[in-house]
Amino acid sequence: MSKFLKALALGTTLAAFPLMASGAAAGDIDAGQKVFKKCTACHAVGDGAKNKVGPQLNDVFGRAAGGLDGYKYSKAMIKAGEDGIVWDDESLSAYLKKPKEFIKGTKMAFAGLRKDADLDNVIAYLATYSSAAATGEDTSSAPAATAPETVVARAAAVTSLRDGGIYGIGRVALPEEIAAWDIDIRPDGLGLPEGSGTVADGEVLYTDNCAVCHGDFGEAVGRWPVLAGGHDTLTEDRPEKTIGSYWPYLSTVYDYVRRAMPFGNARSLSDDDVYAITAYLLYLNDLVDDEDFELSKANFLEVRLPNEDNFIPDDRLDEVHYAEKGEPCMTDCKPGPVEITMRARILDVTPDSGDDDAAAVGAVD
Amino acid sequence: MTDTKGSGSPNLSRRSLLKAGLATSGAVAAAGALPATARAGGDPLITEIQDWNRYLGAGVDEAPYGMPSEFEAHVVRRNVPWLTADTVASINFTPLHELDGIITPNGICFERHHGGVAEINPADHRLMINGLVDTPLVFTMKDLKRFPRENHVYFLECAANGGMEWRGSQLNGCQFTHGMIHNVMYTGVKLKTLLDEAGVKTNGKWLLPEGADAAHMTRSIPMEKALDDCLVAFKMNGEALRPEQGYPLRLVVPGWEGNMWVKWLRRLEVGDQPWHHREETSKYTDLLETGKARRFTWVMEPKSVITSPSPQAPVGHGKGPMVISGLAWSGNGRITRVDVSLDGGRNWTTARIDGPSLSKSLHRFYLDIDWDGSELLLQSRAMDEHGFYQPTKDELRAARGENSIYHNNGIQTWYVQKDGAVENVEVS
Repeated sequence: MSKFLKALALGTTLAAFPLMASGAAAGDIDAGQKVFKKCTACHAVGDGAKNKVGPQLNDVFGRAAGGLDGYKYSKAMIKAGEDGIVWDDESLSAYLKKPKEFIKGTKMAFAGLRKDADLDNVIAYLATYSSAAATGEDTSSAPAATAPETVVARAAAVTSLRDGGIYGIGRVALPEEIAAWDIDIRPDGLGLPEGSGTVADGEVLYTDNCAVCHGDFGEAVGRWPVLAGGHDTLTEDRPEKTIGSYWPYLSTVYDYVRRAMPFGNARSLSDDDVYAITAYLLYLNDLVDDEDFELSKANFLEVRLPNEDNFIPDDRLDEVHYAEKGEPCMTDCKPGPVEITMRARILDVTPDSGDDDAAAVGAVD
Repeated sequence: MTDTKGSGSPNLSRRSLLKAGLATSGAVAAAGALPATARAGGDPLITEIQDWNRYLGAGVDEAPYGMPSEFEAHVVRRNVPWLTADTVASINFTPLHELDGIITPNGICFERHHGGVAEINPADHRLMINGLVDTPLVFTMKDLKRFPRENHVYFLECAANGGMEWRGSQLNGCQFTHGMIHNVMYTGVKLKTLLDEAGVKTNGKWLLPEGADAAHMTRSIPMEKALDDCLVAFKMNGEALRPEQGYPLRLVVPGWEGNMWVKWLRRLEVGDQPWHHREETSKYTDLLETGKARRFTWVMEPKSVITSPSPQAPVGHGKGPMVISGLAWSGNGRITRVDVSLDGGRNWTTARIDGPSLSKSLHRFYLDIDWDGSELLLQSRAMDEHGFYQPTKDELRAARGENSIYHNNGIQTWYVQKDGAVENVEVS
């Protein structure tokens, strides 16, 4: 729980607390001054404080990590600042608790303050030397008659504050929330749920849910995706890219059906349903031939799709026109006058140009 | 594109010409031309008092959210009905031929949906970070607006832009051949800031963004890119994202194919391997002539197109001063040079890049010529800051065949005819 929420729970005069004062308010300044004695070998704070082994700490609140001119920081501290770490009670608390964990590579030799009370107190003490942090004294002396809606507004605004992190914004995701959304499957089987389904079960589900767009045999209706067939067509003039002819991994089928199908009623199928439909799609692609075949979490990785090995990494930059970069030709780049070799008007499939779906080819999805 | 200095003629619109009964003959007038000489007695649009000179117009608040003039009603996104099965899993095209400068107005940024436009109340939207992180987190939209933010102009191009042209010229209009692109200023939080907040574990090498729409769009993004320049954006051109662009939250993946810019972004999962999901296996892989297919072809290569004149924007005047205008872009960074050819790629002239030259943003170029009225074969060729320049369509086909669908950045040719009409062609 954040310190501010602790303050809320204590029912103090929180309505008057400026937000920034939350950490400082939780600490005892006098006690903090004693704790700070552990630091004074290296750090100074207060009037005329100068850099020593460590940087002086006046106005450390609101200062970016590694951000004090004239002090030679470790690379790690400078990077922390570049990454957005700004000192406030949350970040100071995390840093002073375990310095080397919070900023790996910091040159501060101090091992850290074990007790939370020491942390709160020393931060409250340092806050008295920072104009960017209101002190506990400031808050306690503020008028108590703040409008009630302000309390609500402030409480709502900070309910997501939490310990840890760099800004302390957001809240921890609950296991049941992650389980509800994290349904992705990988080729190595990570994410596959428990369950199973047969080809025969899948046929029934497919007919009811999928055939309207994908056709009874995966041949597709209209321009909806073809799911089956197309074997050995990838080098042909009109390749047919189906699960059996093109897709590299069966996990993709399970993942996609579960996350996006049936189209217009996503997430309505049970895990067993998805196993059954996946099994039926194998059957439609002649990758299993037994209607009693049952696909399950246990045997899922035994099924391999035939085109898995035909995917290669992006090697576009090896193509001649990119590999041979240099000055492009500017004059007389072609031997003679240029001839027109093809005209769009011949085919004319531009929208509103008449017979615009005659012989058009192309796809975007 | 109205700078016709030296014409010495009143700048009349086609509409006013027709109204005044001054329409001259031929294609020049049909394209909306300027009269060569002033009419005897003077131009009635000047000599006579017009309605709008006399009567009061609409007051403030007539349109609390303003729309373009009714005379611009033709400047709209359009789709190609034969291309896809249903508009809820389809695409439309930005009217590039009507635009100038580099920024695309929000209402005409092309759309590509895989399950229609999700309607989300921002108060009901959540962003989760989970997987290989120290602390799995949930953010509200209010939370996200408390992180430091940045503004960047980036183009977003669908990998399939030009996909219908692999086998040859097919569509008459740069809206259809090149309009799966838009360029806006995004406001958002660096993705790195959010990932750092959750603490990516050392074996976290890949990121899976996921959408909240009915397609639950997912793509695998290498962590190096995620930590480099990606944004989690909530504004475009200063206002909230449009619903069709992912309101209230979208991922911005500068220079990389548009499919990765997950809209209605609700989850970021950190993992140690890519997921090989549907949109990076079955789709968005580039089939080569050999039967092999490239995968993870993320970067959008250097590319350009002349937007005017073009088939939907014919030359609206006779010989004399002509502005050739176009767009160039590269997912590798800035465009440093655009060359324009008037003779189908035999001879080239370096065009003038005007306006901001920003990394991974559209660049506007111009070539101001004195047209002699003869036929032109217009081409443009972009070069980026890494020295990569745009290949010809024949070079691309030689390397890849005709079945790649995606990543067609070949040089476009427009055939400008003597009457000003323009056609999409291919040349020797």
